[in-house]
Amino acid sequence: MFENRAVGLALTLPAAIFAAALFLVPVGILLSEAFKVDGGWSISAYIDFFSSGRNRTVFLRTLKLGALVAGVSAIVGYAAAFVIVSLPPTSRGRIFGLVTLPLMISPVARTYAWLVILGRTGFVNQILVNLGITDTPFRILFSETAVFIGLLQLFMPLMIISLVSAMENMPKDAVPAARILGANWFQVFWRVILPLTREGLVIGGTLVFTGSMTAYITPAILGGSKVLMLETLLYQRVTVANDFVSASVIAMILIVMSFSANLLLKRIATARKNR
Amino acid sequence: MLQKMMLTGAATMLLASGAFAQDKTLTISVYSFSQDAFKELVYGPFEKICGCKIVVETGNSVERLAKIEANKANPVIDMAVLSTHDALGAARKGLLQPIDASALSNYDKLYDIAKDPLGDMLGVGYTFYATSIVYRTDKVTVDSWADLLSPELAGNVALPDVTTNQGPPSLYMIGKAMGDTSTDLTAPINAVGEKADDIVTYYVRSSQLAQLMQQEEIWAAPVGRFAWGRFKDNGLPMAWATPKEGQTGGMNVMVMTANNGNEELAHQFMDFWLSTEIQTALAEALVDSPANSEVTVSDEVAANLTYGAETVGQLDLLSPDVILDKRDSWLEQWNTKVVK
Repeated sequence: MFENRAVGLALTLPAAIFAAALFLVPVGILLSEAFKVDGGWSISAYIDFFSSGRNRTVFLRTLKLGALVAGVSAIVGYAAAFVIVSLPPTSRGRIFGLVTLPLMISPVARTYAWLVILGRTGFVNQILVNLGITDTPFRILFSETAVFIGLLQLFMPLMIISLVSAMENMPKDAVPAARILGANWFQVFWRVILPLTREGLVIGGTLVFTGSMTAYITPAILGGSKVLMLETLLYQRVTVANDFVSASVIAMILIVMSFSANLLLKRIATARKNR
Repeated sequence: MLQKMMLTGAATMLLASGAFAQDKTLTISVYSFSQDAFKELVYGPFEKICGCKIVVETGNSVERLAKIEANKANPVIDMAVLSTHDALGAARKGLLQPIDASALSNYDKLYDIAKDPLGDMLGVGYTFYATSIVYRTDKVTVDSWADLLSPELAGNVALPDVTTNQGPPSLYMIGKAMGDTSTDLTAPINAVGEKADDIVTYYVRSSQLAQLMQQEEIWAAPVGRFAWGRFKDNGLPMAWATPKEGQTGGMNVMVMTANNGNEELAHQFMDFWLSTEIQTALAEALVDSPANSEVTVSDEVAANLTYGAETVGQLDLLSPDVILDKRDSWLEQWNTKVVK
């Protein structure tokens, strides 16, 4: 037993040293920057950060867009996943392939495509004008709406994949059984599907929320400096202002938000389980 | 006999210095744009003359300045090119040493404003650019900086972000059009803040702006002359405004890092870059407008550059110490009034 343990430790040691030396230590140093003020330890950098109205707006906007993208992904994702799992295996494979296809295209290319599609002479506005819905094209670019659309398209596949695999593990007769026993579709979803797929929802939700919060390219291109998010603000602090303290503060906030989102979603999922 | 010996000696010394030169390297820190042209027109030819090797480091100015500062005790970079205010910032941190004008044979050919823009010979200007407004002639006419905030352009104009090199000079000119020439920029920043909803975006790169113009997202924006080439042939009716308040702009300078130990070669390289021949080649390739007043180019080339004593003399530039001293206050005002 001890020998096995020793062997096990010895085998994990190289990877552990690698991760500690090249990841944990640098991240620790970087994040500790945000607690150092004039040689002492203090949280004044955080107080300074949140005392600026602009920074608070950016923080709340990031939180809002992250939650919105995760929420809408979940709603659309459930509908899509439900259809996908009920398909025969061949078409399921094809549709699943289509869903994951965007993940194989570089986010830069995808975001630039949105720049063209959402532009004033772009596809969306041309349709709106041709249908007579509007005379003057809408300004969609450089707004929260544009960032929301870009992030939704970027991260929704992750939600669908998580929910599809969760639904595939659901007993095949659970839904018909609930229907036979008189449940309406809302009850079927709320009392049967949701509890049985909550792990998929937690994983998908965490991936989409943290992904949206930490995305850089999409808010940078579709939002620009008018719609700053924490990640674009971080970049601006480092490259423009050479202000590593604020940048570390933002990095810390992003890490805390990611972990909190995961814990919160897990808590919600287990609360439902215990009921 | 004696003569022969001396000749042999001199030849040996020449050979020896030639062989020694092969091991010499000059490390320069430059902007990342047009590096292919610089390699062909400047670095390559200089390497042949000096028999040395040029090591090029590129990046944005914050990264490059950070690197020079980090290696202050043991400089890696021998010479750098920077905007005047970044150069002044480096000088104030003690990272630079004066350039020896007597070591530059082309120094006297420079336009007066390029000769010593930072004071104490801490930098020598090698190129200028004008900043004015590019606009769609089929949509609007622009003859004043105030037109940027006019009702005709509402929802169709982009401005440079305050953090870019074009930002503060453009704001200064907007202020000048409003009758306020204070370098606090409070009046123009407030004016932009009031019209924030009418401004499509605050761009950070001229390439980004070119795309917005091409996609017809915007009809007008202030931009540096160096980017004009991206607009003039985009298939749309474009013009370069000559506003009644004048044009603004900027200058880039060459600097010498302190205690780099490679001063002789660095001076030689600067002199080469400032020579009429090289400045002409760079101008003809539309890379940099010349700071050497003896450069002559065709009208067609001149039309795409910031060229000629008259043009250069009329630029209304913000002085580097003003930019350096007020930058934080501008950003602060901008963040509260404009991006909110």
